[in-house]
Amino acid sequence: MAEFEPQIIAFTCNWCTYAAADLAGTSRIHYPANVRIVRVMCSGMVNPMYVFKAFESGADGVIVAGCNYTDCHYIDGPVKCDAMFARLKKMVHVLGLEEERLRREMISTSEGVIFARVVEEMVEQLKKLGPSPFKIKMETLA
Amino acid sequence: MEVLSPYKEATEVIIEAGGEPLRLCYQCGICTGTCPWNLVRGFIVRRIIHEAQLGATDFGNEEVWLCATCRACVQRCPRGVEIIDVMRAMRRAVVSLGIGIVPDALRISAKNIAGAGNPLGEAPEKRGDWAKDLGLKKFSPGTEILYFPCCVPAYDPDVKVVSRATATILSELGVDFGILGSEERCCGEAIRKAGYEDTFHSLAQSNINAFSSNDVKTVVVSSPHCYHTFKNEYPELGGEFQVIHITQYLAQLIDQGRLKFSKEINKRVIYSDPCYLGRHNGIYDEPRRVLQSISGLELIEFPDPREDSLCCGGGGGRIWMETVKGERFSDIRVEQALEKGADIIAVACPYCFLNYRDSVLTMDKAEVIEVKDVSELVAEAM
Amino acid sequence: MEEVKIGVYVCHCGLNIAGTVDVEEVAKYAATLPSVVVSRDYRYMCSDPGQDLIKNDIKEYVLNRVVVASCSPRMHEPTFRNACQEGGLNPYLYEHANIREHCSWVHDDKKINTEKTKDLVRAAVKRVYHHEPLEVKEAPVNPNVLVVGGGIAGIQAALDIANGEKRVYLVEREPSIGGHMIQLDRTFPTLDCSECILTPKMADVGHHPFIELLAYSEVEEVSGSIGQFKVKVRKKARHIDESKCVGCGICEEKCPWKVPSAFEMGLAMRKAIYIPFAQAIPNLVTVDPDLCVYIQSNGKKCGACIKFCEAKAITPETLLNQTDQIIELEVGSIIVATGYDQFDPSVIPQYGYGKYDNVLTGLQFERMTCAAGPTGGKVLLKDGREPESVAIIHCVGSRDQNYHEYCSRVCCMYGLKYAHLIKEFTKADVYEFYIDMRCFGEGYEEFYKRLSEEGANFIRGKVAKVTDQAVTEEEKGKLIVVAEDTLLGRLIRVPADMVILCAALEARADADKVASLFTLNRRADGFFLERHVKLDPVATPTDGVFIAGCCEGPRDIPDTVAQASAAAAKALSLISKGKITLESAIASVDETRCIGCGRCEEICTFHAPKVISKNGVMVSEVNETLCKGCGACAVVCSTGAMLIRHYKPEQILSQVAALTEVL
Ligand SMILES: Cc1cc2nc3c(=O)[nH]c(=O)nc-3n(C[C@H](O)[C@H](O)[C@H](O)COP(=O)(O)OP(=O)(O)OC[C@H]3O[C@@H](n4cnc5c(N)ncnc54)[C@H](O)[C@@H]3O)c2cc1C
Ligand code: SF4
Ligand code: SF4
Ligand code: SF4
Ligand code: SF4
Repeated sequence: MAEFEPQIIAFTCNWCTYAAADLAGTSRIHYPANVRIVRVMCSGMVNPMYVFKAFESGADGVIVAGCNYTDCHYIDGPVKCDAMFARLKKMVHVLGLEEERLRREMISTSEGVIFARVVEEMVEQLKKLGPSPFKIKMETLA
Repeated sequence: MEVLSPYKEATEVIIEAGGEPLRLCYQCGICTGTCPWNLVRGFIVRRIIHEAQLGATDFGNEEVWLCATCRACVQRCPRGVEIIDVMRAMRRAVVSLGIGIVPDALRISAKNIAGAGNPLGEAPEKRGDWAKDLGLKKFSPGTEILYFPCCVPAYDPDVKVVSRATATILSELGVDFGILGSEERCCGEAIRKAGYEDTFHSLAQSNINAFSSNDVKTVVVSSPHCYHTFKNEYPELGGEFQVIHITQYLAQLIDQGRLKFSKEINKRVIYSDPCYLGRHNGIYDEPRRVLQSISGLELIEFPDPREDSLCCGGGGGRIWMETVKGERFSDIRVEQALEKGADIIAVACPYCFLNYRDSVLTMDKAEVIEVKDVSELVAEAM
Repeated sequence: MEEVKIGVYVCHCGLNIAGTVDVEEVAKYAATLPSVVVSRDYRYMCSDPGQDLIKNDIKEYVLNRVVVASCSPRMHEPTFRNACQEGGLNPYLYEHANIREHCSWVHDDKKINTEKTKDLVRAAVKRVYHHEPLEVKEAPVNPNVLVVGGGIAGIQAALDIANGEKRVYLVEREPSIGGHMIQLDRTFPTLDCSECILTPKMADVGHHPFIELLAYSEVEEVSGSIGQFKVKVRKKARHIDESKCVGCGICEEKCPWKVPSAFEMGLAMRKAIYIPFAQAIPNLVTVDPDLCVYIQSNGKKCGACIKFCEAKAITPETLLNQTDQIIELEVGSIIVATGYDQFDPSVIPQYGYGKYDNVLTGLQFERMTCAAGPTGGKVLLKDGREPESVAIIHCVGSRDQNYHEYCSRVCCMYGLKYAHLIKEFTKADVYEFYIDMRCFGEGYEEFYKRLSEEGANFIRGKVAKVTDQAVTEEEKGKLIVVAEDTLLGRLIRVPADMVILCAALEARADADKVASLFTLNRRADGFFLERHVKLDPVATPTDGVFIAGCCEGPRDIPDTVAQASAAAAKALSLISKGKITLESAIASVDETRCIGCGRCEEICTFHAPKVISKNGVMVSEVNETLCKGCGACAVVCSTGAMLIRHYKPEQILSQVAALTEVL
């Protein structure tokens, strides 16, 4: 059997982390292809619902990444994201998902290398954890 | 001309031994200008840091052993370089890798500490002897406070006055306290700064075991060095208990109205801030408050009190090493005290006590000025 | 709803994409997706023929949605949105898939890349299905500009705008404009006299038909947003009749009450009624109500000024009953130029500032060498003697993590300037204690060289202390400056009569208040944050609010002036356009779902949503000029009433689901 290849969804803010992923591209920094990026305007825009949708659709891990506290285009989006993420972590526990499947990062525009490294680490991590056990339907949540 | 080729391995040795922050140094030299050694001889602290950065450290140089870890320089360093950590790291490298020379006096003290649990090489069983006739109880689970005297007041015949005065005060006020006697070891603070990391760890472990098996919750100490390591270094090794320096405890007792004075001390007293109480741990006010509550006592200050206080020269293991006449900080201190017209130098650290007492004797000033621990003055005034 | 018809375009980007992705296969695959009516791959989608493909297909296939899979949308999304618009399609009915930066350039296995690209394209197709056309809205710009702070930055900005015949309100909180620059004697590196170059500009401000100067005033409240700010200004009572005062100063001469003058850095006194300095603009006296005995005694004592004022500008009425005025302004943009404070070196105990008489700060020394200053332009010790030796200490409070970690940028240079002035005015020896000499500007290195020629002594080492504890005969009665000469590796003690501390420039003490007034951010160092350090240095994250000069960080006069002109240009370009395009992808409220709980109002940093009563029902309403579309409100809205256009749940969820569903 082929090795398990985890699927990762990364929600990245338009201004910093998305740009960092772009920079990884322009600098040709290679990293595993397991990640798919969803662009949002601000990390503070990420709704827990989106993260659940990702797991529900078969993602094995989710990254929520945006600007540092001092670089936010909307002044304090990362603080709001932190608050959301804290709630999210609790919910994820209740649903029987391992905490390690979720990752909160702050990666600024110039940190293409860090973006690549985070993806690498996450892939490693998820390979250890194995496929996500979470397939429940959003309806049961609603 | 001898050409220097940077030797990365030497830098790495120091960094590995805990000198990590040295990379931040931008060579401003305020450390040199601040270091008390430069009052008595040249000691270019900045250059030592730069040598370490470039791997040009001369491990055989006696300068490796000079720093008294007084923290004057660290307090001023604009880049936050933990200069003491760098000095300690160089010593560690010498001690553990054998790439330099450990001064004889230090080697002997280190051997004593490792073997007997105290620098004087006295028998461990005799550690409680200072209190023999005082009728103190041995600490047992449930006792409120452990009094931990430090090796010097426990063994040194001249410094026992400190531990005895402290125990007398506590007994008279009915404080529920005990001692551990032969169960305790040297705290290890100074030997660690002298580069003996392994010795420190085994001492700390032994004390932590003794404390936890006796269920110790609060320790009162006479030495700021014990205070420092118990408070800041033991917790990482699993030693979780409350530490109070005796001057803090006395101030507390005064505030609570438990400690009252009945006798006057009509003397001019000058207080010397110990580096490890003041700069290292920010305790400046309590000892002064204690002294000021003694009636008749006139408290005066050195020209450089508190944060700028001059070191006695005894920290970082220097207490065990020979300092030639003319280079002793404590001599300068005694002169300053005399100039200010003090009758008594009040100390709050056993190392200061030893160094000032030696200076007073060798300077032949015993007739005009005395050295006393704060606890002695308190006991006298009660 | 009309039938959705999607066109998909997969770009080769030469070999940049096609080299590691099988683009033809992706295009073929896309054609099989629901609602896709045309799918193509092309060498360079961003080229004119590439864009024409889209435009033609929109007509030919009646497309109402477009997806391009190519480079990063941060590069070419605007290009393709534009193509859609030119083809007759609303630009928001477009979606972009990033298959270059996020795929072909970062992974190497062609097979895997092709699969990933399919995922990305599928997700874009699913997302675009839910896109809605958005209206691009515009709002008018009020052509008036508010400039806050009348230092050289504010003066320059105000003049640039007013010379373009646009109205400027210049608010300065001190009785006169001029800022720190008017306190300086001569300016490095050219040594031209500060007053001589600044007072003409100040006078221009004073009588410019397009500048309304509100001195001795402070902004109290700001509301609204870019293009239409409303501002309340408190014009403090000077306790004189401004229309009558001719600035003759006879009142000042006769007033018997004094305090140390802030303008003279405490080296001279000023009266209870005063003009801070001779060339003040406006040239009016101001009464210090805390010091004025007439006011304090409620008219019972003194009143000397009333008697002597021939213009009758001071009366019992003005002294006792004049109150502050609130002035309301409407402006389209704001330039904040509030400058800096000089760091107070008395917090550094070892330098003896405040303890020893002849330890001075830079600004004190500036006043001393100024011909109109307290010593009449003489360099004198407290006891009136001339110094024989002067030490100048650099980096006092700068480059030091105990105080300020940053470099204050001007101290090396003004330290050199002092060496020159001391040489010019006295016979004293000069010692410059520095860590690094930073002489980066035009003519600066040359100035350094000139001072070396003039015989200043340079000692590389951060001073450890300044003390009066002499150890040699020579040191007696002097201040001794102790440092390591790090180049010699030796401790050095320099006996000096005067010590000048090159104190850091720091953020204004009230920077916090000003920041919240104008919705500015502050950096860790306390200064105001620019929108982009390199590429947008005078804009701020708040549209329509610009910053200039030292409120953004320490800098010299040339940089301050350049920045002020830049800020003025930004304001003028806004005015010249006359309107602003509002962000379309912003919040909107589904009023049928909103329960008026106010969570959105609470979380929004930009105060865009407000819960209001509509026909007796409490609902949230979003101010579209304030909303930036960050989306925080939608996350906290528990009813799903708050929606971010173009980032609606169905749009994002369909994309997310599509990214993983097949595997
Ligand atoms: C000792 C010293 C010497 C110097 N020498 C030189 C030199 O030789 N050459 C050189 O190029 N640079 C020199 N500089 C730097 C120079 O002073 C600055 O570059 C320049 O003054 C910055 O101007 P500014 O308008 O940004 O700030 P400021 O001069 O500080 O002006 C700010 C103005 O805003 C006003 N203000 C503040 N807050 C408010 C508020 N809330 N509401 C209304 N008004 C407000 C203030 O009253 C002030 O008038 C020197 C600096 C120092 C400290
Ligand atoms: S004070 Fe700090 S930065 Fe300066 S030379 Fe010493 S270690 Fe380096
Ligand atoms: S800690 Fe004290 S003795 Fe050691 S280098 Fe610093 S100033 Fe000198
Ligand atoms: S959070 Fe949602 S429900 Fe509450 S007021 Fe705002 S839009 Fe209405
Ligand atoms: S999207 Fe952001 S800026 Fe707009 S109303 Fe919501 S929280 Fe405020």
